[in-house]
Amino acid sequence: MIRPLCKVVMAFALLPIAAGARAHEIGTTRISFTLHQTQTWSAEVITPPTPLLNRLEAAAGQPLSSAPDVDALRAGLDAFRRDIARKIEVKFDGVASPVAVSLAWSGESADATRPLAVVLHAYGPVPAGARNVTWRYRLVYSTYPVVFSSEGMQGSETQWLEADTQSPPVSVLADRRSHTTLEILAQYLALGFRHIVPEGLDHILFVLGIVLLTTELKPVLVQVTAFTVAHSVTLGLTMYGIVSLSPRIVEPLIALSVGYVAIENVVVGRITLWRPAVVFGFGLLHGMGFADALRELRLPEAEVLPALVSFNLGIELAQLVIIAAAFLTVAIWHRDKPWYRPRFVLPASAAIAATALFWTVQRIFP
Amino acid sequence: MRSLAFAAAVLLATARAQAHDFWIEPSTFHPAPGAMVSVGLRVGQNFIGDPVPRLSAFIAAFSVRQNGKARDVVGSDHIDPAGFLPVDGNATATISYASTGAYIELPPGEFEDYLRVYGLDDVIASRAARGERNKLGRERFYRYAKALITGRDPSAGVTKPVGLAYEIVPNDDPTRRFAPFRGHVLYHGKPLSNALVVALLHGRPSVNLETHSDPQGAITLPLPCPGIWLIKSVHMVRASFFASEDWDSFWASLTVEIPEPEPELKP
Repeated sequence: MIRPLCKVVMAFALLPIAAGARAHEIGTTRISFTLHQTQTWSAEVITPPTPLLNRLEAAAGQPLSSAPDVDALRAGLDAFRRDIARKIEVKFDGVASPVAVSLAWSGESADATRPLAVVLHAYGPVPAGARNVTWRYRLVYSTYPVVFSSEGMQGSETQWLEADTQSPPVSVLADRRSHTTLEILAQYLALGFRHIVPEGLDHILFVLGIVLLTTELKPVLVQVTAFTVAHSVTLGLTMYGIVSLSPRIVEPLIALSVGYVAIENVVVGRITLWRPAVVFGFGLLHGMGFADALRELRLPEAEVLPALVSFNLGIELAQLVIIAAAFLTVAIWHRDKPWYRPRFVLPASAAIAATALFWTVQRIFP
Repeated sequence: MRSLAFAAAVLLATARAQAHDFWIEPSTFHPAPGAMVSVGLRVGQNFIGDPVPRLSAFIAAFSVRQNGKARDVVGSDHIDPAGFLPVDGNATATISYASTGAYIELPPGEFEDYLRVYGLDDVIASRAARGERNKLGRERFYRYAKALITGRDPSAGVTKPVGLAYEIVPNDDPTRRFAPFRGHVLYHGKPLSNALVVALLHGRPSVNLETHSDPQGAITLPLPCPGIWLIKSVHMVRASFFASEDWDSFWASLTVEIPEPEPELKP
């Protein structure tokens, strides 16, 4: 009993983080779901008893109990045990598991005859070879946490569910121990890299736009540094909620920035004094875009800083890879050729500009 | 006549849809003078609600107005009931709660079902006109709940808006006598026409009255019996261009205990 309760307390400690992403109001129901080594699962559903009983009575077309005392609750809920079991849906690899339910009581109340919570003990078998499990409880209307854990394995995984929605699949075999800082760094480094290569085509085109303007290393590095400093600043500030701009504004502007760089390549054809400043400004926008991607992951608070640093490093690494690839495949071999600008830089920049302007329109009118 | 009205108003609440109402449920609607009333927040359907513990981060305003004075409803975070207030019992008091906005996304089909159930046909039409019927329902919702606590005397304050963005305001103090509920629906202080307003009776989920506000925002609900009633309405508008959601919804509720009819005097 102690261990599941501790997990539930931990889940509630994360409440402000979940709250940021919540839809319905967070209620008082909480659930700990355990996979046992005996090929069975069990779940403790701690929930306020009166709304539970009233909901079951309403579904059965019965008159609702008004302020029932503990004996009435016990008798009432006991009579509905099978109905409760039918409202709990546990699926292994998409196949429903049989569910049985027993009742217990928990919590202290100012009124001793009215307990704060009933504990529903649900349990059932785990099929051999099961890989993932989903949970759904259709007798709650508020947001609540389900803490998944496996007997004999460290750690737990908390899912916040909206009322009667089904949880995402949770791995039966996963080791849910806490990740070390090094693992977190590696994980978000890879994520930052992937966010640019191959997933961030607009950012790739932006960096290529920078490389296309000049094949001199110093101007490229000045622009890339300006871009990096700028997006690091807004990535951090946005993640910590200090600055905020709607994706409706940021995303079209990012596309427009790609177009600007490419058009300047065509029209001006040389690095201007204002170019690093303009790239810095665009970097500020791109940073907000990066932050949106990172925020969607709903990071636990303890992981925000290491994730932020390594995600940013992953982005830098991806940018350097793009620049190196552009230099090694084309620029370094052909930059001195007379056809390099008219036949390569101009068409490539025009293509980038056209793509970016199309994105701009598409992002304004999705 | 009343039974006819009652029968006509009865709908099967189980046919109602997934979106969830929000209301204030005080420990008593008839406190003794000087009593401490605990103020519960509830989210649910058919007037059966899950307790919602207090979370300051989500509260834009939580106050009570009695004897012309407003004061905050105090409480502790993560605790249900969400607040406590001492009542003087002199006159009807109005508890009001406003939430900060919360974002939700619904698949297109579910979103449209919910719009239909809550009478938001203009939103359905607007989505259809813009070719958005297959688009996710991206919404930010705001809760505006009120509850009336019966006092010794009626209160004129009950008939005045408390300043919520969306609000149901009674024409008279409904805690005084058994009578049809008459009031107005106000959106940012102005009457809102054609808003669907629904009344639900506590403990009787099958009893459900519906009406639409007239051009002056006025509503009349011929409540068929005394008891604790939840009167509610939802209004939805397209979000501003700069918002990350597509729609803003405003959920108004009013919980009130309607007294027993006066016994008829025999000559």
